[in-house]
Amino acid sequence: MTGTQMLQIKNLGKRFPARAGREPPPWIIQDMSFSVGAGELLTIVGPSGAGKSTLLNIIAQIDVASAGEIVFDGERIAGAEQKTLHPGLNRRIGYVTQDDNLLPWRTTIDNVLFPLEVQGALDDAGRTRAQELIGAVGLTGFERYYPHELSGGMRKRAALIRTLVYDPPMILMDEPFAAVDAQTRTQLQEDLLRLWSLKRKTIIFVTHDITEAIALGDRALVLTQRPAHIAAEHPIPIPRPRAVKDIFTMPGFTAIYEHIRADVQ
Amino acid sequence: MSSADITSDLPEGHAIPRQWIVTAGRIALAVALLAAWEWGARAFGPLFFAPPLATAQRIVEMAGNGKLLTDTIATLRVSALGFVIGCAAGVALPFLLRLSPRATAAIEPFILASMGIPKYALTPWLILWFGIGDAPKVVVVTLFVFYIVLITVFAGVRGVDQRLINMARIIGASERTIARKVIWISLLPFFFTGLKVALPRAVSAAIVGEFLVAVEGIGFSIERARQLSDTTGVFAGIVVAVTLVLIINAAVNALERHALRWRPTDRDMQL
Amino acid sequence: MRGRVWLDRLIVLLILLAVWQGGSAVLGAYWLSSPWAVASRFVTSLLGGELIFHASYTINEAVIGAVIGGLPAVLLPFLLRRQPIVVAILDPFMVGGYGAPKLAFAPLFILWFGIGIESKIALVAAVVFFIVYFSTLSGVRALEPKLVQMAQVIGANERQVGRHIVFPGAVPAIFAGFRIALPYAIGGAVIAELISSNRGLGYLVQTGAMNFDTTQVFVAILAATIIVHGFIAVVDVGERFLLRWRPRGAALIVDHGT
Repeated sequence: MTGTQMLQIKNLGKRFPARAGREPPPWIIQDMSFSVGAGELLTIVGPSGAGKSTLLNIIAQIDVASAGEIVFDGERIAGAEQKTLHPGLNRRIGYVTQDDNLLPWRTTIDNVLFPLEVQGALDDAGRTRAQELIGAVGLTGFERYYPHELSGGMRKRAALIRTLVYDPPMILMDEPFAAVDAQTRTQLQEDLLRLWSLKRKTIIFVTHDITEAIALGDRALVLTQRPAHIAAEHPIPIPRPRAVKDIFTMPGFTAIYEHIRADVQ
Repeated sequence: MSSADITSDLPEGHAIPRQWIVTAGRIALAVALLAAWEWGARAFGPLFFAPPLATAQRIVEMAGNGKLLTDTIATLRVSALGFVIGCAAGVALPFLLRLSPRATAAIEPFILASMGIPKYALTPWLILWFGIGDAPKVVVVTLFVFYIVLITVFAGVRGVDQRLINMARIIGASERTIARKVIWISLLPFFFTGLKVALPRAVSAAIVGEFLVAVEGIGFSIERARQLSDTTGVFAGIVVAVTLVLIINAAVNALERHALRWRPTDRDMQL
Repeated sequence: MRGRVWLDRLIVLLILLAVWQGGSAVLGAYWLSSPWAVASRFVTSLLGGELIFHASYTINEAVIGAVIGGLPAVLLPFLLRRQPIVVAILDPFMVGGYGAPKLAFAPLFILWFGIGIESKIALVAAVVFFIVYFSTLSGVRALEPKLVQMAQVIGANERQVGRHIVFPGAVPAIFAGFRIALPYAIGGAVIAELISSNRGLGYLVQTGAMNFDTTQVFVAILAATIIVHGFIAVVDVGERFLLRWRPRGAALIVDHGT
């Protein structure tokens, strides 16, 4: 575990939208509490529909909490009586979603530069940085391609470096590698770890794949079914750098895997 | 540098008041348009703007002395005839072409090219041939309907699942049976869409055709009024024309909704 | 195989021309001008400048009218994107306007604006407006909300979302709207000229018929047809260029609307 607490979730709750004249709606998330240290890569595992995406949406400030609060970098950013939302919290929280959400009418390089353009930071330093990231994930030569001309894995990489290009201190990732084949997924996981090792951001990575959770995370949280809260917490003592391809053979893997699988039931 | 302030909207009890706002807004807009119309009449004078009241009176007058009825019948007569012929031709041609893909490929560019011909522009030449009776207008209406039906039926015929056709052939069905039982049923939805578009089009084409050649009809009365600087007549005629087409639009839509209830869906036809 | 199709088409063309020529010979030039007469008059008219004079008049009407009608039709859905109540209030009026025969207003516009170019422009604008409005509206509505969310998380404000997400996403629909509307625009210009004008291709048709000069009638109609197809070609080229980011989709026969 690392030093300061970057993010603290305190008794977070979220219910479905209310309908006039009916009973109070059920809770999607109820009484969820956990923290994330600065520079930590936290993975969250849970069954589908448990509210993982909802949790990330609330942290990313595109959805509002019904109860509890969230403290980010010492500052209270979310709570039940919140009136306005600040998506992305002024670019301090990045969000890599399941669909790559690349703009289909922009080339790869223009997609990567999009945040800088929007933020008014499109200068030489920014362009250099974008080019470096493109090289770091092996997309060199594909800068002028349109998204429909790229493979699924390449689009994921582009979406990833699009978030990295403006350097948010914390990044949320919602099952970003779920929609590609196993081989590509392993490659993407390695790319992610390599990029992360260069600049230790705080990452919250949501997945339904236990292996992925173990391979990537410093710590893995297990969510229950709806109403979701934290069922268990598992530190992952496997040393870094990790060879994702051989994660199964790493010491301690099987034990953690069994523990998490038991908790997920 | 700013972030969008969004308030997440909870669809609680807001549904009902919302509908009221929309309806109230529509009524308000309609009233405003009527008021603007009245204002226009006062501001621009009776030569350019017939006031709403005078227009309504004229329409009532036309209804009273039977002119409204005879005009409407004259226009609908032309539309109906053109519609029927155009539909028949527009349906027949794709089925004929189906028999020879080679002929279809050969003729297709000419059909596409002919679609660019401004059909109303043919009217003066048609008058030369047929005189100032119904015939020129019927031809023009036929052409409009023909192309609309042709395109939709053509798309439908092409879209028919080839597997269904193959299966029918294997079973031993003749081309005629295939045409009737497999293709026709599959393209019914396309056909109805085509009709839905073509029928109001037929009526409006008849009305516009009457601007160029007629002795009676709604379009004729509009154009005649214009030539006599009878602005009230122009306004009255246009209101009648627009109302007629909108009514037919609504009727066709309602008919489609009703027909959709018993018709088997395309899904039932898929293997 | 491909060569055979073109040979077939050539044969069909020759048959059509032969029938046309034969029909003209049998019926007489008064009723049906011959292909040769039409072609040679077309060329002389073109070289003499008369055809270009009238054709450009008609084209002007169509283009200016399309701009005047098309611009607000494109802007309105964007401006009203965040006002669904306003859009809902307007909807029956827009649907009514779309369904109503705009060409029926031709005599009214001529009454108001005279037989000059203004009445034709007004008619074309009315025709184009409703077509492009509904096209653009569907394009704006088909917007992917996830793309908007992505942009907001990155820090885009409302204006940037409109410019970078909504507008590019709606461009295909806008093109589709204009491709449908332009032939109607020409058709509207011509019909207004047929009713009352002293210039333009419709005027040529009308005067040709009145003088029993069928050749002139055909030349004018031919010119108008070429213009319609030319407009469509221009829009298609523009679309292919601006929309090269799109994956290939199926092309359907489009209603040419004249």
